[in-house]
Amino acid sequence: MFSSNRAVKLSEQLMVPQFICSVVELIINRALSLSNKPITLSAIENKTFTLELAELNFPLSITVSNNVLLVNSTNSTSDCTLISSIATLRQLKAQQQLTELIKQEQLDIQGDIKVAQQFARIAEELDIDWPTEVARHIGDVPTHKIGQLSQKAKKSISQLFETLEADVGEFLIHEKRLAVTNSEIKRFNQGVEQTSDQLTRIESRLAALENRLNDSQ
Amino acid sequence: MSSVEKNSTPSQVQNDANSVADNTTHFGFQTIDKEEKISKVAGVFHSVAKQYDVMNDLMSFGIHRLWKRFTIDASGVRPGNKVLDLAGGTGDLTAKFSQLVGKEGQVILADINSSMLNVGRDKLRDRGLVQNIEYVQANAEYLPFEENTFDIVTIAFGLRNVTDKDKALRSIFSVLKPGGRLLVLEFSKPEHEVLNKAYDFYSFNILPKMGELVAKDGESYQYLAESIRMHPNQETLKEMMENAGFEQTSYKNLTGGIVALHKGYKF
Ligand SMILES: C[S@@+](CC[C@H](N)C(=O)[O-])C[C@H]1O[C@@H](n2cnc3c(N)ncnc32)[C@H](O)[C@@H]1O
Repeated sequence: MFSSNRAVKLSEQLMVPQFICSVVELIINRALSLSNKPITLSAIENKTFTLELAELNFPLSITVSNNVLLVNSTNSTSDCTLISSIATLRQLKAQQQLTELIKQEQLDIQGDIKVAQQFARIAEELDIDWPTEVARHIGDVPTHKIGQLSQKAKKSISQLFETLEADVGEFLIHEKRLAVTNSEIKRFNQGVEQTSDQLTRIESRLAALENRLNDSQ
Repeated sequence: MSSVEKNSTPSQVQNDANSVADNTTHFGFQTIDKEEKISKVAGVFHSVAKQYDVMNDLMSFGIHRLWKRFTIDASGVRPGNKVLDLAGGTGDLTAKFSQLVGKEGQVILADINSSMLNVGRDKLRDRGLVQNIEYVQANAEYLPFEENTFDIVTIAFGLRNVTDKDKALRSIFSVLKPGGRLLVLEFSKPEHEVLNKAYDFYSFNILPKMGELVAKDGESYQYLAESIRMHPNQETLKEMMENAGFEQTSYKNLTGGIVALHKGYKF
């Protein structure tokens, strides 16, 4: 058995993320070119949306360039990053739940939410039959397994996109600011403790100085 | 948009190289005069240029595309960056970078060999990639760019063909901006003995035959196999980068170390 660290290293050596990215890139661009109504991408030219899913040990970034979607495995240039898991996304049914999930730290959106919405709009317009498309590229047998997974992923992701699409931007930004997460509370408490420690130190130094001043008088 | 062809012609390049003091170097397993290497390497790439892309796919079973993707992912390229794809040949990395740096950015495809540059230029133009790419014929040892010009320099499967690798690394270091990085993608030493043996057999027995059959040029592919064997291993190349001034150097083995991606920063 491989430890998870070794598995990640092996997947990196065998360039599994790059392989997956190239297959996904092929498929979405094919779907774009087959789309009945033309899909314009110019509004998000050079913008990058990144998905960091717990089930994948690498990020999936989608960048628009000259009406083509590029899929890479890096998050160094993301305009908007969505961090979650397929399992969490499957729970996503209504707008309210999105905030709930953010509060529970099961989902996070970093960066420009408008970018996520614009990508969501494109995803809504594209109807990709993933199992058939994947089979075209890598054959039927592995596709059967991928198919089962992708059906679930497809449902969750389209659910997410629908939620994002419902113009939740303002609401989300607002909620994200109001909804203080556990880690933020922890950080705040640590900050308060540190400040009060420093204050105590300053107080005792002041007292010592005062004493010395009194003594010398 | 116009693409600019600049600077050194192959003969100028050769004159420069001639002015370098004496001695010999490797051309595959042969030991030859340094100046001879330039024209011999030029001969190889003039000869393979037209078939280069097909042979690359065939010989690596398409895996070179993943090695190159890995390089792009590791580069941290951003819109607006200025990138030098050195020894860029037929421009696979240039194509990807050009899409990622956008209108505000720029990619320069530099190669010593005019045949490879021409094939690259035609290919990229056919794909509609024109607006942010320049083509420059140049020797990696004497880069014709100002100091502190590039955010990223890549050299993929090119360094082992360069006569004076240390000089090339110093030249790259100088044209990088502070904070800029170099990525060297190159054949390296497989980590496991069994893989090493299998790879040796493939390189020396199958590869030249494939070259003979498909490109009608077994000799060039024999050189390819030999030059891979003569190229410094992972640790040696890392050290060479450090000697040239690079910091935070590291490398990642790909496909069991058949290929390694080295990375280093200029600060
Ligand atoms: C194997 S090809 C690699 C092309 C491309 N980078 C790729 O990965 O597909 C090696 C390239 O290095 C170029 N080259 C060899 N010596 C060079 C030098 N001293 N300076 C610049 N380019 C050089 C060759 O002309 C050739 O195009």
